[in-house]
Order: sequence, then C-alpha cells, then structure tokens
Amino acid sequence: MTGTTLPVVLRVPAAGRASSIGYFLRRNPRMIIGGALVVAWLFIAAFAPFISPYDPIKVDPQNSLIPPFTQGHVLGTDDLGRDVLSRVMWGSRVSLSVGLISVSIGFLVGVSVGLAAGYLGGRFDLFAMRVIDALLAFPALVLAIAITAALGPQIQNAMIAIGIVAIPAYARLTRGQVLAVRSREFIVAARAIGCSPLRIVMRHIFPSVTNALIVQATLSTAFAILAEAALSFLGLGPQPPYPSWGQDINYSQRYLPNLKWWMSVGPGLAIFSAVFAFNFLGDALRDALDPRLRRSG
Amino acid sequence: MTTYILRRLVLMIPVAFLVTVGVFVLVRLSPGDPVLVFAGEERDPAALDAMRHEMGLDQPLPVQYVVWLGHLAQGDLGRSFQTHQRVLEAVLERLPATAELGFAALLFSVTVALVIGILSAVKRNSVVDLLSTSITLAGVSFPSFFLGIVLILLFAYVIPGRIFPPGGYTPLSQDVGDNLRRLVLPAVTLATASLAVNVRQIRSSLLDVFGQDYMRTARGKGLRERTVISRHALKNALIPVVTLIGIQVGAIIEGAFITEQIFFWPGIGRLAVQAIPSGDYPVVQGVVLISAFSYMMSTLLVDVLYARLDPRISYEAAAV
Repeated sequence: MTGTTLPVVLRVPAAGRASSIGYFLRRNPRMIIGGALVVAWLFIAAFAPFISPYDPIKVDPQNSLIPPFTQGHVLGTDDLGRDVLSRVMWGSRVSLSVGLISVSIGFLVGVSVGLAAGYLGGRFDLFAMRVIDALLAFPALVLAIAITAALGPQIQNAMIAIGIVAIPAYARLTRGQVLAVRSREFIVAARAIGCSPLRIVMRHIFPSVTNALIVQATLSTAFAILAEAALSFLGLGPQPPYPSWGQDINYSQRYLPNLKWWMSVGPGLAIFSAVFAFNFLGDALRDALDPRLRRSG
Repeated sequence: MTTYILRRLVLMIPVAFLVTVGVFVLVRLSPGDPVLVFAGEERDPAALDAMRHEMGLDQPLPVQYVVWLGHLAQGDLGRSFQTHQRVLEAVLERLPATAELGFAALLFSVTVALVIGILSAVKRNSVVDLLSTSITLAGVSFPSFFLGIVLILLFAYVIPGRIFPPGGYTPLSQDVGDNLRRLVLPAVTLATASLAVNVRQIRSSLLDVFGQDYMRTARGKGLRERTVISRHALKNALIPVVTLIGIQVGAIIEGAFITEQIFFWPGIGRLAVQAIPSGDYPVVQGVVLISAFSYMMSTLLVDVLYARLDPRISYEAAAV
C-alpha cells in the first residue's frame, strides 16, 4: 500500500474550559455585568456583619442627619444617627433572603404542580390549572399584600406571600414544556421499557425544562426583591428597628421637606441596582440558554 | 365571537369561585377576633356573643362562606370595622380618584412609549435606540416608591417655585387646574414601570413587522417612509400592545396601592393600605376582591378587542 497518507491530526491548542468560558462571557457582556452585580450583592449580604462600618441599629443622636461623605459616613446618617450605608448593607440580607427563599417556594411548588398537571393530565390538570388561573386573577402585588396582611407583617410571611405569587409562572411554564415533550419518541420509549412515571418525569422531562426555569428563576428574583421592598414600604415586611430597604425609604419620606435626601437615596439605589442586576442577568441568560424566548431586536 | 365570549365567561365561573374562596379564607386566617375589633370599647361577653351571632361568626365556616357569597351577589361587601361605613360605599367614594390616576398613568405611559418605541425601532442600533433600551431596562428595575420620592424631592422642594405639590388631591369638580397639578407626579410615578414594558413591546413588534414582505412591497411601490410606518407598520405592530394595555390594568391597580400612599391620593389603594394595620379586614377583602374582578374583566375585554382588531385570529379553535 503505497501512497497512503496518514491522517493529519491538527494539534488543538490546549484551550481548556477556562478559555471557552472566557469566550462565552466576552460574547455576553450583559451576563458579566449582571452576574458581577449579583455576586457583589450576595457577598455584601453574606458578609454584612463583617464589612458594614457601623452597627445598623445603634442610635447615636449626636451624629444625626449627617450628610454623605462626612465624618466617615459615606451615605450619611439618619435622624437617629444610624449609618445609612450600614443599614443598606444589612438591608440586603432581608431583600436577598426574601428574594431567594420566596423564589425557591414558587419554584418547588410551581414546578411540581406543572410537572404533575402536564404529565397526569385529566381532572388533576383541570383542577390545578383553575387554581393557577385563580392566582393569576389577582394583580401580583395585591395578592402579596393581601396574604401578608392576613398572616401578619413578618419577614417569613412576606416570603410565603411572594412565593405563592410566583407559583403560577413556574407551573404554567413547566406544564407547557411537559405537554410539548410528553408524546415525543424518547418519552414513549421510556414508557415502553417500563420506566416509572416519576422516573420519566424527573429523568426525561424535567431536564428539558431547566433552561427556561433558570431564566424564570432569575427574573422572578428581581420581582421578589421589588415586591419585598414594596411590602416593607407599606409596613408589611420586617419591623423596625431592623433595617430593610423599603421600610427605610418609607421612614425617610418625612424628612423630604428638610431636603435630607440621603436617607432615601441609599436604600433606593440599592433596590434599583439589585433588581437591575437580576433583570439584566435574566435577560442575558434568556438569550444564551433559551433562544426560543429571545426577543426580536 | 359571541360563542367565544360566552365560553370565556363560563370558564371564568370556576376561577371566580376560587377567587372568592381564596379571599374568604385569607380573611378568616387573619389573626385576632373581628368581633373585638368591631366592638371597639365594648367588652361585655354577652354583648360580644350577641354581636358574634348577629355577624354570623358563630356559624361553621362553609355556612359563613355561603352567607358571605349571598351578600356579595347583592353587592354587599360588609361594613368597615373602624368606620362602620358600608365597604362598597367607601370604595365607590374613592373610585373616581383611583380611576383618574389610573387613566392619566395609562395615557402617559402609552403616548410616551409610542414616541420612544417608534423612534427606537426606526433608528435601530443608533444612539437613540441604545439610550431608550437602557432607560427602559432601568425603568423596569426602578422601584415606583423611590421614583415617587425622587420626583417629590425635585419638583416640590429642590426646584424653586414648587412646580408640583408633594401630594394631596383636589376633586376635578372643585378646581381643574389644581387637580391636574396634583395629578402629574403620581401619574408619572405610576406610569414609569409600564412605560418601560410598553417601549420594549412597541419596539420589538415594530421590528418584527419591518421584516415582513408587505413592508418591502410598500417601500417598493414608492411610498414615503412616514406613510409606510404609520399606515402599514404601526397598524399591525400595535395589536400586541392592546394586550399589554390589558395587562397594565393589573399593574396600575397594584401600583395604585403604593403610589396613592406616597402622594396621599385618596383612592381605593390607600383605603386598603390604611385598613391593614387596624385589622379592618372587610375593607381589605373588598378592595382585593374588586381589584381581582376588575383585572379578570379587563383581561377578557382585551382578548375580545384583540380578535376584533386582528381578523387573522380565530377563536373557534383556541377557545380552551
């Protein structure tokens, strides 16, 4: 055998995982900005006790209403002499924990209902979807306000209320995806080889929904943070003196005529940047993970 | 079309039933004894028992629900624990203020969104587009109560001349000028979040339409760009916006709870928020129920309108 040529193996540069992640991130700058902001807020929330410059609830009347960047108070102090920056940092613990826990409640309940309704169909599907429709019949924040008002103004109740409000989005999304794949060949095959319904749902159907669910979870965390701030603003979140962004903005309102603007600007910008971060990240994830949902333009 | 509307109305019955059950259960979950709240200073056990009997609260829960539903069907939402005023009466008194605020916010949001959305789509990827997309994303993330406070600070206190008052309400019938002056800040606050969503929707549906064949045909036959956009693009692109306006009725109802609180606007949102700390549950229940039913009706109305606007949509198959 003459003239045979050996296959030429081009040496692939040892790019590795790190550079492919780098390439992906370069192509998705929104993910870097959104992700970095989210990580920054998670860091602040986790380490607030160590990094906040002052005790957020310690009253210091001698240092009340100090403007920003004065006497070591970057965001100034409130009427009771409490450091605004420290309260913003500690407030992030409330907002992010409510955000993450309520989204987890919505996720777990919503996805379970959606999977069961889509897979089982029949009466269960009919009943479950009417309950979901009933939840959707309320404007989201009105429902959250009603639930928190009924259960009492506490942080746990705010989590439950926002979690319940989040359920329909997950349930509908999951059910829709399940209905789309339920009759596909690989599901029929799984059924034919004797897989149990639970195994089919968890191993074969659920993975096809995860990308859309990750996007939904990120975007609904943004809503949850905003809803928690709104509930706190209305006095339905954590009670004073514990710091909370919405409640601090409400409290600061009485000092507007005296132009003590810094009391509200700190927590206001904190809510904005946290919600913006999750919205930005969610949008970027939608484009990257779920091209079907990509908006035109 | 009539069949579709009827079918939708029939489908709404179980949902409406579940909504009433939900609201009823929520109120019964509330801590505290409503009789004690209603009785005020009265603490005589016999008198309290009589009151409990009179209010039907000594009956089993399902019976209480049926009685409550019966009253509801006759438009009786109960009485406020605090003022003893009929809830429906209290709501109707405040409805004009909420409706005025909601209408102004919707008008502002749709008009501004149309201008920015069209500019942004026509001049795609330009500075205008970049600026408007960034602002809209920021608008979605900006908490309305913070925006309200910033606006009050700027227009009522920082800028000399107190262009707009920081809050309060003057009925239209009393002083039109003052009413409108007081309306501007709350309406802008309430409109901002939905404005951002509107701009996004108008921009993206216009971009979708721009890629259609009939647009090329319209340009190909020599029509002016302005005519192409107004006659051909906008008419089709605005159909999804109608749906969005329906969804915004919900956003405006929930936004009213917050905005009315900031601006001391005496609407139904403020009525409910003020009733919460005092445990005035019939008022909260009434407002929540009315909000839910208004939202459901607006969704139905939009779906019907949608079919009227777009003859391509057939509801015969998509009814369930």
